[in-house]
Amino acid sequence: MAAHVLRLRFDLLIGSLRGDSRHVARAAAVLIALVAGLAAVVWGLVRLDDALDEVALTVTIVGGAAVTIGFFVTPLIGGPDDPLDPRRFAVFAPSPARLAGSVLLASVISVPVLALVVAGIALAMLWSAHGVEAPVTVVSVVLGILTCVLFAKVSAALAARLLRHRRSRELTGLFLVALLVVVVPVVVFLASLQWRGRVPTQLAEAVDILALTPFGAAWAIPWRSLEGGAGGPVLVAVVTVLALAGIWWLVVRWLLTTTERPLSSRAQRGLGWFAVTPGTPAGAVAARSLIYWLRDPRYIVNFIIVPVSAILTMVPLVVVGVPLPIAALLPAPIMALFFGWLAHNDLAYDSTALWMHIASAMRGAADRLGRLVPVTLIAVPLLAIAIPVTVGLHGRWALLPAMVGICASLFLCGLGLSSLSSVLAPYPASRPGDGPFQQPQRTGGALSQAGVLGGALALSAPVLWWGWIALTGDDEAAWTAFWGGLAIGAAVLAIGILLGGWFFERRGGRLMEFAESA
Amino acid sequence: MPIETPEDPVDAGGDIRGPDAVDQPLAPAPRPPRPAPRKKRSPARKPAASAQAVSEPEVVEPEVVEPEVVEPEPEVVEPVVVEPVVVEPVVGEPEPEPEVVVPEVVEPEPEVVEPEVSAPEVSAPEVIAASDAPTAVLVPDVEIVETAPDPDPVIAPEPASEDVAVDAIAVDAGSSVLSGVGADADAPAVRLRGVAKSFGETRAVDAIDLSIPAGTFYGIVGPNGAGKTTTLSMIAGLLRPDRGTIEVAGVDLAGDPARAKRMMGILPDRLRTFDRLTGRQLLHYYGVLRGLAPAVVESRAADLARAFDLSAALGRTVADYSAGMTKKVMLAGAMIHSPRVLVLDEPFEAVDPVSSAIILDILKAYVAHGGTVVLSSHGMDLVERVCEGVAVVVAGQVLAEGSVDEVRGELTLEQRFIELAGGLSDVEGLEWLHTFSG
Repeated sequence: MAAHVLRLRFDLLIGSLRGDSRHVARAAAVLIALVAGLAAVVWGLVRLDDALDEVALTVTIVGGAAVTIGFFVTPLIGGPDDPLDPRRFAVFAPSPARLAGSVLLASVISVPVLALVVAGIALAMLWSAHGVEAPVTVVSVVLGILTCVLFAKVSAALAARLLRHRRSRELTGLFLVALLVVVVPVVVFLASLQWRGRVPTQLAEAVDILALTPFGAAWAIPWRSLEGGAGGPVLVAVVTVLALAGIWWLVVRWLLTTTERPLSSRAQRGLGWFAVTPGTPAGAVAARSLIYWLRDPRYIVNFIIVPVSAILTMVPLVVVGVPLPIAALLPAPIMALFFGWLAHNDLAYDSTALWMHIASAMRGAADRLGRLVPVTLIAVPLLAIAIPVTVGLHGRWALLPAMVGICASLFLCGLGLSSLSSVLAPYPASRPGDGPFQQPQRTGGALSQAGVLGGALALSAPVLWWGWIALTGDDEAAWTAFWGGLAIGAAVLAIGILLGGWFFERRGGRLMEFAESA
Repeated sequence: MPIETPEDPVDAGGDIRGPDAVDQPLAPAPRPPRPAPRKKRSPARKPAASAQAVSEPEVVEPEVVEPEVVEPEPEVVEPVVVEPVVVEPVVGEPEPEPEVVVPEVVEPEPEVVEPEVSAPEVSAPEVIAASDAPTAVLVPDVEIVETAPDPDPVIAPEPASEDVAVDAIAVDAGSSVLSGVGADADAPAVRLRGVAKSFGETRAVDAIDLSIPAGTFYGIVGPNGAGKTTTLSMIAGLLRPDRGTIEVAGVDLAGDPARAKRMMGILPDRLRTFDRLTGRQLLHYYGVLRGLAPAVVESRAADLARAFDLSAALGRTVADYSAGMTKKVMLAGAMIHSPRVLVLDEPFEAVDPVSSAIILDILKAYVAHGGTVVLSSHGMDLVERVCEGVAVVVAGQVLAEGSVDEVRGELTLEQRFIELAGGLSDVEGLEWLHTFSG
């Protein structure tokens, strides 16, 4: 069995280099790039030979964990179908355990894993140079590679089953945005560190935690064996490998004993965002709003202006002599406030097309909730970038929770109040198809504009106060601001959606009169 | 079934008396066997009706008859109710077991107008008793939603549409409460009573009374600016009338808008749609907003696209569609949740003749299976050809209403319409137009 699968794997590997010349050229280019990258990594590892033990080992742990996470995440985001999908062997009636083992073994014969093996050997040499015993390095590298391979197989199998029906450009984009939310703060954090030849304390703390996660444990064993206390990482690494192997075996058994649900031929094709969001009224409104937010210049202008103007608010402050670390704290909360405020006149942008929502007798809360999805999807990544940058420029990472709390409170309160104001006090906006700056003559509008801004600020006042206390030195207040901000924001958002929905259901006629007159 | 709040206590009173008042006299009533027994009136309904008329799920069946004795003070009307029952002619109950019929205690004004709606449509025995004095006067008003003898071949063959509604309406001079409002399955598909709407100084719609029977093709015609669109928008629940009540299949639109709206499919005129979506996405949006499961929407959208010849265009954004195609995709969207009533504002405007014929076929089949189409149109010959009932609306008022034959009389519908609309005045002051300048 194993021999057959292995030979199949080899043939697949070589087969990927056959085909028409364009295909071969592309495959060769990818291969060369990979080899070049690998060479760079190995060279970098070799150069770490003469660095301090602490520095070298910290870097290897962080890098190893990043690679492991990469193996886990890549199959989720996208990529070709797994040619060694266990279900394809179902017709041969293999035993799940043997098949799981064979496929796992064959998976080692793949370009990324081979690259990982090469890097692992370089890593072992590096560790040896720093005085780690040979058996420990071997165990560590083997465990690390096994973890990577198992993560990749499990996540590929799960992604193929769970996401296949929804796989689309939109979903991939969504995953990339989610990745951005995680990666950018980490990168900002790393970039803000001051190395000066030794490991910064913040990073040392982060590595301590990382060494006990499934992603970093295997790579942390050598370092811990030098300092003593390798038990923790060894335990986590072994348990991780065993647990993943168990999951893999279960997945294989599940795949062998179930049949694939036939994908209906026309399923979801051409529905775009509608195929990604749930098939409920709220989901449909979310998908429709997303399409408009991403295609309609009236919306696009909004979310370009907000970050730019938020950053520009710093300029006058710096000019008049406010120290940069203080002025740098402003843009993120201002962005949060204005992102929450963006939806305050959302109904008016629909113009008379609003009749579809009113005639369908949909729940008002579903309308309110769906409309907030696009602004949330856009604002959260931008805030995830802005908040760490802000705090990084300020320099005191202890303020991070307070900053998150303040931004969450301002943003969510803004969303909640917007849900109310767009039903209660809509005012004419530029019509669909018009330019974003082509504003209609308007009467009113000031009320809802000022009301949402002022209301969000007022409701966030306690959080702002806690944030101020944290800024003046009390680190405990930072966490108070964090939890307080999340709680206030969530409460205002929930109330705004429910109450706004209640009004929406009752004011349908008046909203239509407004839409037709606007 | 939430009815308007003021009527709730009243309904409860009716329920208490409902069983004795209704059942007792009904049992001996003559009950000619119908050729087409209708499963919908299952015996299960009766207990439900007597126990709690309010909770009955009439959404499912339009023909469900419900006892609706609505009155403010039970003791005052008590004698009244007993009396009408005796007179009640019960027509067309297929099942042997006593059926609960709707005794309605109503004030005179709107109901008395009813008989003049359409002579051919009300072909069953009809007794109108004029009320005198404090004694109760009974108006056993037999409304035939769709009559078997109806000349129109479209509806005749459909057994389900041979639905005889028996409305016993007692006019109580002493009672000042208008009753009979509620989910009456045999109620007209759409009923407007004294509906008025003003925009600022302009009276767009001025106290319109209309009763559109279920299972018919009904046309609303009128000159430009007569208030047709406003009327249809109010029926659709998009505008709220200043005064008056609107019922859709017996459900009060103001009292239970969600239920009433679920029974309607809407095609507005001159309102935008979300035209940055593709045709497929738009149909999906229509369906999912109506609460359908995505898989159902998917198959229905494909069916509708085929029927309306839109399949090739589903991948394009609706903004790129021609006016006629936009109309077609919106009409398809209005039908996707299989509504009971279609409210169509100018459905054939800008639609090419071939598509018009297809749409007409679809609508006729829909009506033949018990659906109701309410449309407004400028095309008199079209209304004359397809509609059974027609209302001529001029300056916000109904000037003529009834079957097409009734309304047009000796003339063609177009001539009659022009006459009603004020006739053709001689155009003066355009003499310069007749001396050509170049």
